[in-house]
Amino acid sequence: MILVVGISHKTAPLEVREKFSANADVLPAVLSRLAARPELSEVMFVSTCNRVEVVARSRTPGEEAGLLAVNAAREVLREHAGDARDFDAYLYDRTGEEAVRHVFRVAASLDSMVLGEPQILGQVKEAYEAAMGAGTLRGPLGRCVHRAFTVAKRVRTETQIGAGTVSISSVAVDLARRIFGGLDQSTVLLVGAGEMAEAAAKALGKGAKSMRVVNRSVERAAELAAHFGASAAPLDALEEELVHADVVVTSTGSPHFIVTKDLVKRVMRARRGRTLFFIDIAVPRNVDPRIDEVDNVFLFNVDDLEKEVAEGQKARHGELARAETIVDEELKGFLAWVRGLKVQPLVVGLRAKTRGVLVAELERTLAGRLKHLPDADRAALLQMMESATNKLLHTPLSRLKEAAASDDDEQLAQALATAFDIVPREEEVDSAPSGANEIAEVSVSAEAERVTH
Amino acid sequence: MRSFWVDALFLATAALYLGASILFILFLMGRQHASDPGAPENEVRPLAPRLMALAAVLHGVHIVVFSLALHICPVEGIHFPLSVVAMLMGLAYIAMRRRYRIDAVGAFVAPLALATLLASRFVGGGALAPSTRMKSAVLPFHVTMNLLGVALFSLASASAILYLVQERRLKQKRLHGVFQRLPPLDALDRAEHRFLLAGFPLLTLGILSGTLWAVRLDADTVADLVRAGFGYGTWILFAGVLLLRAALGWRGRRAAYGTLAGFGFAMVVLLLYLLRGNTGTVS
Repeated sequence: MILVVGISHKTAPLEVREKFSANADVLPAVLSRLAARPELSEVMFVSTCNRVEVVARSRTPGEEAGLLAVNAAREVLREHAGDARDFDAYLYDRTGEEAVRHVFRVAASLDSMVLGEPQILGQVKEAYEAAMGAGTLRGPLGRCVHRAFTVAKRVRTETQIGAGTVSISSVAVDLARRIFGGLDQSTVLLVGAGEMAEAAAKALGKGAKSMRVVNRSVERAAELAAHFGASAAPLDALEEELVHADVVVTSTGSPHFIVTKDLVKRVMRARRGRTLFFIDIAVPRNVDPRIDEVDNVFLFNVDDLEKEVAEGQKARHGELARAETIVDEELKGFLAWVRGLKVQPLVVGLRAKTRGVLVAELERTLAGRLKHLPDADRAALLQMMESATNKLLHTPLSRLKEAAASDDDEQLAQALATAFDIVPREEEVDSAPSGANEIAEVSVSAEAERVTH
Repeated sequence: MRSFWVDALFLATAALYLGASILFILFLMGRQHASDPGAPENEVRPLAPRLMALAAVLHGVHIVVFSLALHICPVEGIHFPLSVVAMLMGLAYIAMRRRYRIDAVGAFVAPLALATLLASRFVGGGALAPSTRMKSAVLPFHVTMNLLGVALFSLASASAILYLVQERRLKQKRLHGVFQRLPPLDALDRAEHRFLLAGFPLLTLGILSGTLWAVRLDADTVADLVRAGFGYGTWILFAGVLLLRAALGWRGRRAAYGTLAGFGFAMVVLLLYLLRGNTGTVS
């Protein structure tokens, strides 16, 4: 059973979400902790500014196993966040069809604070690649996430949900305009030199009077600064840099506040009260929210900015219904595929049984009356037998798959299993993500080798 | 005939102020598009400031015609100078609007000018000539300085109010709804400071000339002393705002509150004059 356990902007404020977030350094450890849980057979961990989610599949099917798997994911998340049970109320879970729908909606940015924002798809892809790299995503869940990318692509191309994108950067520029009247007389200070700082530099750097970059690694700061015609300084010089800045964008990976209220008070005295505007796009936050209490200091964090963006995006909600229809269509297709998987062991068993009987008969005959036949003729006979098997099984297997797709396969599957005396093995589903044909092909190769030698 | 022209000018001025007020308020509430697609969002369409400028000019003409009709100096008396304040405020706003990027302040200035114009006409029975005892060259100077000062302080106060509204919206992260087109925070703070800086020397001269005048007239009634007390209070408050800003960097919210307090004191002085004026001649 596919399941999702997580926390998002809809259920928790930023100060709670940041406890759950995982950067690239800790992601492998979280993934391996999840993968080590016996209740989970596949896992993926998504961590963005707005959500932290475990997307997983239970080791065995059924509601009880699903519940155990959900609890396992919750436990790992709680441990990761510092094992605070208080956080439990913020966690949500989805199972089965609802979990798949949720994954599709998240990838298509229908569950985002800013409806239709494009970043989430990239973030889900990164999580997918990390899980694939760690070997924790190799079955139907991988297929589900892959399908989510298709959903996202369809939603983006077939609806206007992403039209007229208003980004966090553009809102930051707008806010700077409301405070300073424009950036042309402002000095922008970037604290941190990662990807987010680079995006901020692109958005704010053009119009600013000047730009400075401070970072723990001065080399990285200098690299970014050189790219945007800015100047660089070490993080130790932060206080001095704040005295001269007007707009400050913080985006370091620090787990603690690096801009505190006391620091800002000292800075404001040195600035003689000149207005200072902080944009904190880091999760966990870099700036103590209490600095908002200081006169002439304004702070907007990720939540504030995205609420602002979302407010400006109300027009996109009209496209939501069309996007949801696409999600429904894709969900239906995926569920049909999953149901097909359910009869996969029977399909494999039926093919194996039929082929096993025929190959055994052929081998007996080739060892007796037809032992004079050369290898080429033996191979031709095997090929003929293979074709006959496929033609013979084509109709019953097609009927079985059709019945499975409409979730009406139980009687037919039972009848076939009884008629051919087959006991399907559930674990074959996990090892057969690409369907029975691949397994059949492997079997044919092995048989051919035996018959011709 | 002269009365007809005075009334016509009065009505035309009031109508223009009303029109400008409506347009500026619509603009402030985000109901009117910016002047052109390329213009900043907080720049008003030209019609509103044009109406305002025309109103201020007509207002000036009205004052001149009215003064000639009644044979009084526009800066003598109390009620009539209120009208002069409104006109000066309108002209100062038009002159400084673009420079300080404070278009939305018009939403305060235009209605205030209209209200002051109407008050000058209907409150206290129009212009009153000063008593013979008060006829002096100091009086027009004292009144002119104070009127110019009050006009500039009105603009400073309007900027301070809008500053407080904008600051509150930013602190509370509520930037949608009404007041879409408020000027940038720093522009409001700068405008408020500069209007105060410009008005303060005028107020100082007004206070000095008033003191000189009061000493010469031996003005020592309770009303005189109360009025003088509020006058000095106004000066001290504005001086404090400017001094603290220069010395300790008190700007923004604190400066806005200080400016409004000073303006409140100035309004008390005006009110006391108006109440005094209602009882007869100015003394």
